[in-house]
Amino acid sequence: MSDAQGNTRTAELRFQALHHAGLANINASFSAGTHVVVGSEADGTATLIELAAGMTKPSAGSVLLDGVAPWSHARARRRIASLYATETPLPARDVASALSLALRALGEARSALSVLDHAGLAHFAAKRVSKLTPREARALALAFALSQPAPALLALHEPLSVVGIVQEDFVLQRLAERSAAGAIVLCSASRLEDAARLGGSAGALSRGVWLDPASARPPIASVALRVHTAEPRRLAARLSEAPDISGVEWAGGHELIVRGSELERVAHSLVANARAEAIRITAIKPDAPSLEALAAARAGLAQAYYERARSADTDPKRPA
Amino acid sequence: MNDLRNGVAIARERMRGPSAPLVLGLSCVALFAVGVLESQSDAVSAPDDALVGAVFGIALPLLAYLVSERACDGTRLDRSVDCLARYGTNRRAALCGVLLVSALSSAFAGALLTVSALLGAHAPRSPTLLTDLRASVGIALVAGVVYALYFGASSLLGKRGGGRKWALIIDFVLGAGSSALAAPWPRGHLRNLLGGQPVIELSQASAWLALALIGVACATWSVARTVE
Repeated sequence: MSDAQGNTRTAELRFQALHHAGLANINASFSAGTHVVVGSEADGTATLIELAAGMTKPSAGSVLLDGVAPWSHARARRRIASLYATETPLPARDVASALSLALRALGEARSALSVLDHAGLAHFAAKRVSKLTPREARALALAFALSQPAPALLALHEPLSVVGIVQEDFVLQRLAERSAAGAIVLCSASRLEDAARLGGSAGALSRGVWLDPASARPPIASVALRVHTAEPRRLAARLSEAPDISGVEWAGGHELIVRGSELERVAHSLVANARAEAIRITAIKPDAPSLEALAAARAGLAQAYYERARSADTDPKRPA
Repeated sequence: MNDLRNGVAIARERMRGPSAPLVLGLSCVALFAVGVLESQSDAVSAPDDALVGAVFGIALPLLAYLVSERACDGTRLDRSVDCLARYGTNRRAALCGVLLVSALSSAFAGALLTVSALLGAHAPRSPTLLTDLRASVGIALVAGVVYALYFGASSLLGKRGGGRKWALIIDFVLGAGSSALAAPWPRGHLRNLLGGQPVIELSQASAWLALALIGVACATWSVARTVE
């Protein structure tokens, strides 16, 4: 990112005491580089991306890009490339016309065809906007976002979910280029594999609570999981010998309460033992000591799996 | 200026499609029929009755409402330009573009409705037809613009632009009277211009002024209520 004098500037995106819809008191800041928010739409990732892009006014708190609120400043929004959970194309007869209008709004002289061509989507140019599927609309929005020459922020909801229409290599390469050029690349991912492929630092949103990487592994004295299975007796017998499980309770029915000292170990051991005995688990519910501890533990688990998926992804010995 | 042009472009695109001309065409036919029926019952007062009752009383406000709804894509006026705002377009300028298109469309529709009703209400070679057309079409053009601004501004009330619906109802209910309660709404002043009962004894010149004030106030409010 360079200013008019050619000096390099570092962009910063800041959420301050942000409350909106399901999001609760989010305080976080992001500088240049790739940042992945692990969580589902129900956790608030879609809302977070819309807030970051300045398309939604926060109910309380603020969202600032380099100290300016994108919601109320058109110039700040011009520096943002975005992809939302649901994309509505600009009203136009066909895709090329819709993209031309978007380019005109950005004040760019490029042609819509060049944008589509770069992303390998030239065949969409003549397609009617009304005939686009929601996924195609998102793919086109992603292609457009990635084509923007020097955005300060790319706020992208689940960019890898449209892979298949857009090439994954193209997406990852473009994101890496933008990140290296000093842009903030803020992506959400509901799948840990996607988060691993996107790379960068990972935080998590859990039911609207922001969990940054620093708070990902909190110590919890004791955790309990409520496990539903058709074969509780057999699973209880197996788990009673597992080293990471400190206790198993079965009060009849299909539910077991499994206790241990660390959530991730308990969960891992539970899954591994059930798999070894070919026992089907229908549901796992945390029986948390406190909401905060549980949320933090969930993020710890997510982080652990994320790290594992990431290391497996970069391991050269891993079979294809 | 570019942002205003983009606002015009999206509103124009939303107005496209066969349903808008179809509704307008059917309305014109219906109003022509109303004019003919009125002329058969009382040829002298037929033009006035058709204009005050069917055109300016029902068809024009309803059509302006539908035009506003469509130009705004069925949502609030400020949210209707979000699709451009994400690319750095100034919402206020884009909103003015949307208002411009809906005002011109409503004015055009109003003029056509008026012409249809008058052609039905007057005898084929009536000497007063041209004079009537000239005066009434002018009022219809202003009415279309004022209603478009009025419905645009009222759509800013409510999460999904529900204020627009309430504005239509309030105009129908309160605007029908002639007390001070009718003063803030376009209907009473339009009735005054057509030769009907004035609102709080205002002259016709004051009615023009009142309509202009309503239009300016609505446009100003729309811009002021919208963030950049």
